[in-house]
Amino acid sequence: MSTLVKAQSVTKYFGSKLALSNVSFEINTGPPVALVGPNGAGKTTLFSLLCGYTFPSSGELKIMHQQPGNAHLFGKLSALPQDAQLDPGFSIIHQLRFYAQLQGFGKSQAKQESDRVLELVGLSDAAYQRPNDLSHGMRKRAIIAQALIGCPQIVLLDEATAGLDPVHAREVRELISTLSNEATFILSSHDLSELERLCGQILHLDQGKLTEHNALSQSTSQQHFFTLRLAQKYEDVEKKLFALAGVRNVHNSQAKEYVIEYEKSAEAFDIQLLKYCHQQGWQYQQLVNGNTLENQIFHKEH
Amino acid sequence: MIFNWGYSLMQLHAKRSLDIALFELVRLFLTKRGLFAVAAFSICWLIVLRYAIGEAVNLLNSPNIAGFIDQVFGAIGLSKLLTWPQAELAVYWLIAVYSFPSFCLFLCADQTVGDRQRGTLRFLSLRATRAEIILGRFIGQLLILIVLLSITLAATLAMFTYREPSLFFAGLSHSLILLGYLVVAVMPFIALMSLINTFSRSARLAFIVAILFFVGGKIIVGLLAWQLPALEVLNYIFPGYQLADMAAQNAGLMLAVGLPLIQTMILLIFAERIFARSSL
Repeated sequence: MSTLVKAQSVTKYFGSKLALSNVSFEINTGPPVALVGPNGAGKTTLFSLLCGYTFPSSGELKIMHQQPGNAHLFGKLSALPQDAQLDPGFSIIHQLRFYAQLQGFGKSQAKQESDRVLELVGLSDAAYQRPNDLSHGMRKRAIIAQALIGCPQIVLLDEATAGLDPVHAREVRELISTLSNEATFILSSHDLSELERLCGQILHLDQGKLTEHNALSQSTSQQHFFTLRLAQKYEDVEKKLFALAGVRNVHNSQAKEYVIEYEKSAEAFDIQLLKYCHQQGWQYQQLVNGNTLENQIFHKEH
Repeated sequence: MIFNWGYSLMQLHAKRSLDIALFELVRLFLTKRGLFAVAAFSICWLIVLRYAIGEAVNLLNSPNIAGFIDQVFGAIGLSKLLTWPQAELAVYWLIAVYSFPSFCLFLCADQTVGDRQRGTLRFLSLRATRAEIILGRFIGQLLILIVLLSITLAATLAMFTYREPSLFFAGLSHSLILLGYLVVAVMPFIALMSLINTFSRSARLAFIVAILFFVGGKIIVGLLAWQLPALEVLNYIFPGYQLADMAAQNAGLMLAVGLPLIQTMILLIFAERIFARSSL
């Protein structure tokens, strides 16, 4: 496992406004990394710094031991920047071929590569259309396609599935999941369940500060939580669950959803819990082993 | 600054710059908008060729007013042009040497600013250095102007060859020399727009800033030179300073070629340095 990104005390000001404050982290090759936080937390700023679009006010940021934006990173780091649009004057395929050529592909290879990435995002039929002739979702998929040209080692996707319909959002998620063996993805999204499904590591930014930096699996396995989502509202669920043996705490995280903290010694608590639901006649929708990312973040921010 | 510029230069990849330049050429000739621009340009030049150059040549060749023309051209320092056997080329030269640099400001107003506003530069900057982008876009605009200049020169060549076929060969070599001078003359204007594009927020604003630079700048330098005549030297910062001498064929090689090349290099270095430090 090698270090792909190393940030040391990175601070970024826009004028007098502090966007990132003393952020330090490391990202190694491996499963996708989630970058989460509320609007204005500094996620897009961090993405811009990683891509070399803007520069830190202080601190040091290295991508594969290079300064962001360095020519050695061309073809190794790719990105879906938020709000960036393709050139409206040219067809999608023309632009993708151009980008592939800039990455060092020959003319015929660039054509093949562009066809390949368009097929990956399901846009082969729209290859010769201009960006303005496409829907918002199709444009976004075209931009995701440009991020997949070649064999990037780091792919940064800022709000990759925002604005996509559920079918295409799912396809993009599956694409990321499939390609995550070949590249390390860094994803930002407000869809926390999406990030939970895809990512193995989380960077939580809040008001420009990095408040958490650990593996999702680690954080859940050490804390002994279950998140139970019921099909409908039932009476005194919180009180009844709390009365169960081994339960330390229960709270109603949101409508029909309960986070149950249990004793470390309580073995096979999930089986016991499901049996109890059955006895009570409670229909459940989902039982999550751990505290959901959404609940963890909500708990931190409030 | 010199160290950073040297480092940017070391990272410069000629093929990437050329790819960016050729993409700009394609933009003009293979996109609808570009073709409309070429069509509008061609119609304007057809009118110039037919009415301005065609009619002026008739006047220049008229024996009745030859003495008057001699006096007028002599008074404004253009008498050398009257010695050219290809009168069409002389009139073309007079129009082109002033109109192309001004046209440049308009044509090259959007080199990077539109792409920066739209975010397209973010895709490019992951594949090319900022120096390559600036240089590529500059070369692209230069190639476009070379093509447009060549078209207008070819049309002028056709005009005087039609009038007098024996003028073709001498006229062709003369046209190629003029093309070289015109290409060098427009270079600092393109580079100036490259520089203004690095901090402007729109192509329209870039054009306005360029006009203000020339008008306001000349007034300021004029006032400074009035106070201290040695400051007259500041006029050398303005692209096109040599155009009047060039038009009259009185500019030496250093003034006609050296000055615009030096201005171009300095403007591009400033453009690259500002662009390298700006956020995309």
